[in-house]
Amino acid sequence: MTQILTTRMEAHPSDSHTLGRYEDTGGYAVLRTALAGMQPDAIVAEVKASNLRGRGGANFPCGVKWGFLAPSRPRYLVINGDESEPGTFKDRQLLERDPHQLIEGIILSAYALGVHHAFIYIRGEYPRPARRVQRAVEEAYGAGYLGRDILGSGFDLEVTVHLGAGAYICGEETALLNSLEGRRGEPRIKPPFPAVEGLYAKPTIVNNVETISNIPWIVGNGGAAYDAIGPEGSRGTRMFSLSGHVNQPGNYEVVMGMTWRDFIYGYGGGIRHGNALKAWIPGGASAPWFVEEHLDTPLTIDDVAKNRSMLGSGAVVVMDETTCMVKAALRVVRFFAHESCGQCTPCREGATWLQQVLTRIEAGAGRDIDLDLLLDISDNISPGLAWPPAMTTICPLGPSAVSPITSIATYFKDEVAAHVHGGGCPLG
Amino acid sequence: MAEQPTLVTITVDGKPAQVPAGTLLIEAVKAAGVHIPHFCYHPRMKPVGMCRMCLIEVEGPRGMLLTTSCTTPVADGMAVHTESDTVKKAQEGVLEFLLLNHPLDCPVCDRGGECPLQDQTMACGPGESRMVEEKRHYPKPIPISDLVLLDRERCILCARCTRFSDEISGDPLIEFKGRGNAVEVNTFPDEPFASYFSGNTVQICPVGALTATPYRFRARPWDLEAVESTCPHCSVGCRISVQSSRNQVLRFMGVDNGPTNQGWLCDKGRFGFEYLGSPQRLAAPLIRNADGVLQEAAWSDALDLVAERLGALAAGGPDVVAGLGGARGTNEEAFAFGKFLRETLGTNNLDAQLGDGLDARLLAGITARGTIDDLERARTVLVWAPDLKEELPVLYLRVRRAATELGARLIVVHPRETGLDPVAAHTIRYRPGAGTELLRRLADGSGDLAEARRALGEGPVVAIVGRPGAGDDPRLAEAVLAFAAGLPGATLLPVTRRSNVYGAADMGLDPGLLPGRVAAPAGTGGRDAAGIIEGLIAGEVAGLVLLGADPVADYLEPARAAAALEAASFTVAIGLFLDESAAMADVVLPALGFAEVEGTVTNLEGRVQKVNRLLPGPAGARPTHEILEDIARRMGGSIGAASAEALAAEMAATAPAYAGITWEALSWGEGRRGIVAPGPAGSQPLVHAPEDHAPPPVGRNLVLHLARVLYDQGTLTQAGPSLAKLARPAAAHVHPEDATRFGIPAGATVRVTGSGGSVELPTVFDPSLVAGTVYLPLHCGASIGAGLEITMEAVS
Amino acid sequence: MTWDRRTEDRAAAIVGRYPEKRSAVMPLLYLAMAEDGYLSEDGMRRVAQLTGLSNAQVQGVASFYTMYKRDGVGEYLVSVCTSISCMLLGGDDVLDAVAAETGVADGETGEDGLFSVEHGECIGACGGAPALQVNYELIEGVTPDHGRALCRWLAENRPAVVRGDDLQERFGGRRSFDWGPVEAGGATGAVPAFGPLGTAGEGS
Ligand SMILES: Cc1cc2nc3c(=O)[nH]c(=O)nc-3n(C[C@H](O)[C@H](O)[C@H](O)COP(=O)(O)O)c2cc1C
Ligand code: SF4
Ligand code: SF4
Ligand code: FES
Ligand code: FES
Repeated sequence: MTQILTTRMEAHPSDSHTLGRYEDTGGYAVLRTALAGMQPDAIVAEVKASNLRGRGGANFPCGVKWGFLAPSRPRYLVINGDESEPGTFKDRQLLERDPHQLIEGIILSAYALGVHHAFIYIRGEYPRPARRVQRAVEEAYGAGYLGRDILGSGFDLEVTVHLGAGAYICGEETALLNSLEGRRGEPRIKPPFPAVEGLYAKPTIVNNVETISNIPWIVGNGGAAYDAIGPEGSRGTRMFSLSGHVNQPGNYEVVMGMTWRDFIYGYGGGIRHGNALKAWIPGGASAPWFVEEHLDTPLTIDDVAKNRSMLGSGAVVVMDETTCMVKAALRVVRFFAHESCGQCTPCREGATWLQQVLTRIEAGAGRDIDLDLLLDISDNISPGLAWPPAMTTICPLGPSAVSPITSIATYFKDEVAAHVHGGGCPLG
Repeated sequence: MAEQPTLVTITVDGKPAQVPAGTLLIEAVKAAGVHIPHFCYHPRMKPVGMCRMCLIEVEGPRGMLLTTSCTTPVADGMAVHTESDTVKKAQEGVLEFLLLNHPLDCPVCDRGGECPLQDQTMACGPGESRMVEEKRHYPKPIPISDLVLLDRERCILCARCTRFSDEISGDPLIEFKGRGNAVEVNTFPDEPFASYFSGNTVQICPVGALTATPYRFRARPWDLEAVESTCPHCSVGCRISVQSSRNQVLRFMGVDNGPTNQGWLCDKGRFGFEYLGSPQRLAAPLIRNADGVLQEAAWSDALDLVAERLGALAAGGPDVVAGLGGARGTNEEAFAFGKFLRETLGTNNLDAQLGDGLDARLLAGITARGTIDDLERARTVLVWAPDLKEELPVLYLRVRRAATELGARLIVVHPRETGLDPVAAHTIRYRPGAGTELLRRLADGSGDLAEARRALGEGPVVAIVGRPGAGDDPRLAEAVLAFAAGLPGATLLPVTRRSNVYGAADMGLDPGLLPGRVAAPAGTGGRDAAGIIEGLIAGEVAGLVLLGADPVADYLEPARAAAALEAASFTVAIGLFLDESAAMADVVLPALGFAEVEGTVTNLEGRVQKVNRLLPGPAGARPTHEILEDIARRMGGSIGAASAEALAAEMAATAPAYAGITWEALSWGEGRRGIVAPGPAGSQPLVHAPEDHAPPPVGRNLVLHLARVLYDQGTLTQAGPSLAKLARPAAAHVHPEDATRFGIPAGATVRVTGSGGSVELPTVFDPSLVAGTVYLPLHCGASIGAGLEITMEAVS
Repeated sequence: MTWDRRTEDRAAAIVGRYPEKRSAVMPLLYLAMAEDGYLSEDGMRRVAQLTGLSNAQVQGVASFYTMYKRDGVGEYLVSVCTSISCMLLGGDDVLDAVAAETGVADGETGEDGLFSVEHGECIGACGGAPALQVNYELIEGVTPDHGRALCRWLAENRPAVVRGDDLQERFGGRRSFDWGPVEAGGATGAVPAFGPLGTAGEGS
């Protein structure tokens, strides 16, 4: 079983986050070699060759994104550690348990991209990960891996750890940049993309924690080696956060390509109490749900997309037969309504309206027309209810609120009707 | 002139159209005659794509893309669909979302009848709400300033108001607060939206969420009568729509005139019309009776008396009578005044300014005179002038735009901090009196001025130059202009405040100028304002005609002006109010004012624009030119003023710079944006050679910086309830080091004594001054004259 | 208004960490909160001065985020996750238990100022659901009974520094993953415990 990201933390649970352990286990060796002998472009080439796709949710090829970086300077690298999508807790583990792996990835990436100031944006509710990263950054400064003239190479890099303050939307890269600039965390209109006009309107690369944590391995072993792992389109390993009604929740670093059945019943150890599986969210709260019929679908980026959902942030939330689908949908919709930044009319008003109608249905005050109303409101946020979603909004958060609606309308229509006609949840 | 835009070809709903390149789709399809509903988009602000109302479909490589037309730039060959089913559904969806929480109070909303949301709903909105839940509730309108009310229930969160305050006016006192469905517009607690530009947010709010206190519940849009006109408050000459109901002006709205105001107004302009309907307006002539009391009289008696007394005095020689004023009315009035003084009274003692501006020959047109629009192309802008935010607010907006949006390097030179400082690349401060020395150092680029000097070497340069403080030597401004004229690609804007002072100069209301920017022949003689006032005191001048001028309040040495009027053997005041000077006159004649007469005015660029009539004015008041003509006739003459239009025609025919600038030309098409009267051919020498300007000494102790603020104790400001209360009480601004030096604790009262008197004032510490300088706001109820050197002592 | 010398020095250091001072708004708001126990108007004013923003702009930023508490907040802010994964495993019951034990309803602060209780959205502990945080220190695998006991313990012991490891050890259950060694630091108030903010309670 190939492991890239979690080897050290599994082998050395007591101190995998320290500089000493990191160096002991080969850490910063890649950086030494790269700074001594590799041209920045060569690193970019390896990353391109690896076919590493971003792990923040959009699955965008990392090397391609790096290729869009506009020539002007200064440029910035921003690490997205805002991880807030319900079901997702993988970046937390990477931040807490192997921060130097991330920092080495940052230094290599910054060197490759001509960046001299990088930021690590960590969600506010993650003080422990932030402390560990901050300490690791200080260790790295102390050891000459950060600061001026790193390892005598002439390359300078500052790293600032920035704490969010409770706003999921700041995970969206342009909202994150606004937040980092001290503005309200509202997403920007794209284009311009951050690679052209990002932080302080300067060229900026935003990458996820997990994405960048892969960089030391890729630079050390070569892009081709990474590209040799896993099926086409889903290369490398990937962290999945498994939660809900499974016997063994947790983060799993896996090579993609297995079936969902293998993942949920194998890694997850099956459903609690031997219950039947009812549905699962395959890629974070914004992903449309899967049901039993998808169990033998391969767990790859493209296969999931073909089935009108997404691997998104790698969060798998499993719901067993005792789960009320209206309640579950409402809980997810409530999240998006709460997290809407509020600038787009359809998201601000629509998500709240969806929440209100679902609340009414859950409370047993639903009307026959309410499911159609839910779908029509959804259609006004995401026209055509197509996949990938069309949007009347600036960012995909608005359309995310639609996923649970289409999911229950597709697979659990009767259960919704039973709420309407039975004055509340039939499951009691 | 605007360059011809390059065109690209697109198809709009299947029909090909040629539209200007480089525009946003919403503008491009508008050029093709298609209107797209929108709320957050405003052509004078950066698009944000927030309301999502303007969604349209664009054909792309991967099929149709639904996108906001306000954020998408047009490209050649684009095919857009504005009426497809998808577009209609999406737009109707957005409209429904906007209405979910919008109250149903259109019948009592000031915006009702002119509300884009209401219009859009009528056109294609849902019949009935599908939402059965409660709407969002907020307390009904809360005052967010003395002038503006906010009703958050009506707000559709388009952020026009907040963006205006942040991007355009630079005083972000209102902002979004909260997140998601709980977002609201608001101020910081106990910190009102006290912006000089707040009224613009009321105008651009697409719904009735922001309303103006002075206009609240005053009228319904369909009851309003309106004319387009030009704001009478300062020399920027913003284009406005004057709107009235039942012969009362109720509001001014900014009209988007690209070269000048670009749609914006300052609050003084917008809300400063209230004086027109003031009960204090003069409605009948007044004659001082035997007891020395001004008493109402019949027009014929008053005119007879004026003609008789002026005639008798004028017979004593050209120097015995004089005229002051004419800078606040129309060009036609100024022209008539000039003719009356020169032809009927035979005097060349005339001045539209009161010694507080610049030499009229400069105002009337110097070489390389610029336009405001030059700021759009400027690399470097030099402002060595009054604080534009206080005195020429919309010019401040244009300079700010150049410095923020357009990337011009701004250099501000002033005795203390100004409104533009936050966006300036270089702020240079100096003690009044030390300006000449500073100019020399700036020209040399010595020391810390090297960077600023380098910037001035990068053209095009626009130099905005005036007297930073009322007491500053005007020859300093001339020297600065002379220096600026030599900078690369330089254009110059000499600035002063009184609204039509440029027009008055163009009409020859100055001893050295004849109408049409023609210099008076050498040796013509005649007294300027200071000469007239000193002449009156000395008994060399005996008769005085005041036209909309109040020297007793306005002259920089008010005590001298009062003494002059005291000494005059006969004074007639023509104006709107019984101001301090009129109260000392022998005859007072009520004139019609703004919106009551038709005519033209000339702004600081030399741009001539029309002002129009909408109201009859007080029953007993008459147009100035008729008053002057009647007096002239009684004296056996005539100024040929059959009508204001006839005067305008005479101007256009005889005054060289105004050739062809007729009312007709100004009333239609491009002419409505105003016509810039061409500057003088060849080079107009600066009036005083810079060398004759020996810098006045800067004393060892304190010098005075005396400058205007937007809301002061001026008659017109105080005659309207909305602005009167905004005037702040005077205070002496003292540098903290001086406070220590003079032993003045914070907030203590001081006695300051200057050339014209002495007052006691509270102090405010102002570290932005250069130590050794005291700043006093002008016309704020405390006058000590304008002399440079003053003394100060703590009062226990 | 200014803060004491130590806080002002810290503020200056924070501003220095960013290329543009406006970026320091968020950490400075935390600093202001740590200073007053909640985000006061004076605190926002000081942040505005330090960053060159208007007070309204600072308020606009502060009110965007859920963790800047502009109303008073208790000594212990208990945030119970009720997002999807925790809900599936009983997060709502934990919230009810915490509210019942403290006598403080969701979204409220108790009169004695000891507890504030709120439901939160996902706190990234779904593998250890249901989870909660006390002053943003995480405890995973919390049952309603454990939630009650936790609140009781806090009320009785009034720890000046809330240490996540300690609470997890006492009241937690299944973790999302192995946390590694026990840490010295913890939260000194309803502000995330983070060194640069001076809130990590590492000294005590
Ligand atoms: C609403 C929303 C929330 C997001 N949250 C996160 C997040 O918490 N972490 C993250 O890495 N990316 C998040 N993303 C994706 C980012 O916008 C961006 O694509 C990503 O950080 C890029 O990094 P990657 O290319 O390495 O994946 C979010 C996107 C959206 C639309
Ligand atoms: S879709 Fe929602 S979260 Fe995204 S920008 Fe619009 S309002 Fe904000
Ligand atoms: S108050 Fe008016 S201008 Fe301001 S956001 Fe609301 S609707 Fe827009
Ligand atoms: S007008 Fe285009 S989004 Fe508002
Ligand atoms: S859902 Fe509760 S921690 Fe993620």
